[in-house]
Amino acid sequence: MVIPWELLVIQLLNGVIIGMILALVASGLTLIFGIMDVVNFAHGELYMLGAYMGTTVMLTTGNFWLALGGSALTIAALGAVVQVTALRPLLGRDPLTTILATFGISLVLQNYALWQYGPVARKIDEPFTGQFALFHLQFPWYRVVIALLSAAIILALWLFMKYGKYGIWIRATTQDRVMAAAMGIPVPLVYTMVFAIGSAMAAASGVLYAPLVGINHAMGLDVILRAFIVVVVGGMGNLAGSVLAAIFISLLEALASLWVSPAQAVIVSFIVLILTLLIRPTGLFVPTPK
Amino acid sequence: MLTLENVHTFYGKSHILHGVSVEVGPGEVVGLLGRNGVGKSTTLKTIMGLVRPSQGRVVFEGRDIGGWAPHRLAHLGIAYVPEDRRIFRLLTVYENLRTGLDRGGITEQRKTELLEKVYENFPVLRERRNQAGGTLSGGEQQMLAIARAMMLEPKIILLDEPTEGLMPRMVTQIRHIVDVLHREGVAILLVEQNVPMTLEVSRRVYIMEKGQVRHHAPAEALREDQTMIHQYLGV
Repeated sequence: MVIPWELLVIQLLNGVIIGMILALVASGLTLIFGIMDVVNFAHGELYMLGAYMGTTVMLTTGNFWLALGGSALTIAALGAVVQVTALRPLLGRDPLTTILATFGISLVLQNYALWQYGPVARKIDEPFTGQFALFHLQFPWYRVVIALLSAAIILALWLFMKYGKYGIWIRATTQDRVMAAAMGIPVPLVYTMVFAIGSAMAAASGVLYAPLVGINHAMGLDVILRAFIVVVVGGMGNLAGSVLAAIFISLLEALASLWVSPAQAVIVSFIVLILTLLIRPTGLFVPTPK
Repeated sequence: MLTLENVHTFYGKSHILHGVSVEVGPGEVVGLLGRNGVGKSTTLKTIMGLVRPSQGRVVFEGRDIGGWAPHRLAHLGIAYVPEDRRIFRLLTVYENLRTGLDRGGITEQRKTELLEKVYENFPVLRERRNQAGGTLSGGEQQMLAIARAMMLEPKIILLDEPTEGLMPRMVTQIRHIVDVLHREGVAILLVEQNVPMTLEVSRRVYIMEKGQVRHHAPAEALREDQTMIHQYLGV
């Protein structure tokens, strides 16, 4: 079957856009894992609650950008509370305990959302509805904006980690927790900060993506699975690797869906995951360990 | 200024320190000698809050600091240079130094002064300031570890075997920086295997054996009469 090249271009564009959103979710996840060794099973629920929080702010203010910022801040605060109450006491214990803890938190948050917002799906309106002509198709500008905003947020995180005072604290803590503390870095605070930042990024992606997919209490499940695949393929804890892996996998899926149905195209990401684990378990996008 | 009174420390079930008592006065250089595995490093780790004493008191400037978190001790003015240096390997030399500079109550001007002072004393660190810490040689890493501690403007530095495995030229340089710190009034608790150097730079020396202080004397006395050194260190 010959695929018209316009369709190919459109799918490539879609792949990159979905990839950027996925990269945003996965960066938060990989940040938390890389620094705290915590596999955060509640990450999808923070993403979901972020989207819901977006609807709440949207209802009161009617402003999408306020919803984006407000939701990120609220979920960051929630993340900080979760870290202090549920994860800090587990510091230094078997990593399995943190997996159980975050899994428990994810169930609590999911049912809270069901109780608070009900089972009916909600939607956030796109902040603008402009479109541009792409071959025979009207392509919404908002989708392009999502990709650019996600990229901007990831870039901001990278700059913060590279040059910021707290970024250096975070990197020092990752490398040697004990020595960081001996240098006067308040390590428990660093952990809380990292979890809050990761949560804020999950929330931001939830709000950004909500206009395309709609919001319900189980939306986190779908995204967390894909985010985990991305994080493993990109190399656990590796920020740049996650971004590349997110785009790579989304592009593959977008292209695969030219031939098969989108539901079947998801299989591609699992194939990539399995091949990665078999051939290069440290991640596709990390330098070969010496 | 810093006093350990009858400190006992355990690693799991093994009893490492059996009632260690050590004292360091303001601006004083004190040596801690002993064979491998007698508890010298553990003594420093206990002071720094990296291991918790099960019994006894650690008092710094009148405050009982036993069980305090290490980052609070760093803010009080205790700096730690561990035996294995523990440079942040993926951070650049400058970023390594910044970990001690980015703290409350310090002006930008003071930060620049502190950096300049370190670059003056260790010119190689200025040359390598944008290089990852892990790419430095052993001696350079030791300099960085000490320089990093100096960023905290500490009142006391706990130095754990700073000359271990270094070539003579580097030893001289470490020796020089100990003198600089001493002149500036920073107290030093120095753990060493290098007996001649310890006796030279210290005012008083404690000799440890099996988790206890067995002998305590002015360094001068030990320089003149080395019987105790022979007895406990076998050199």
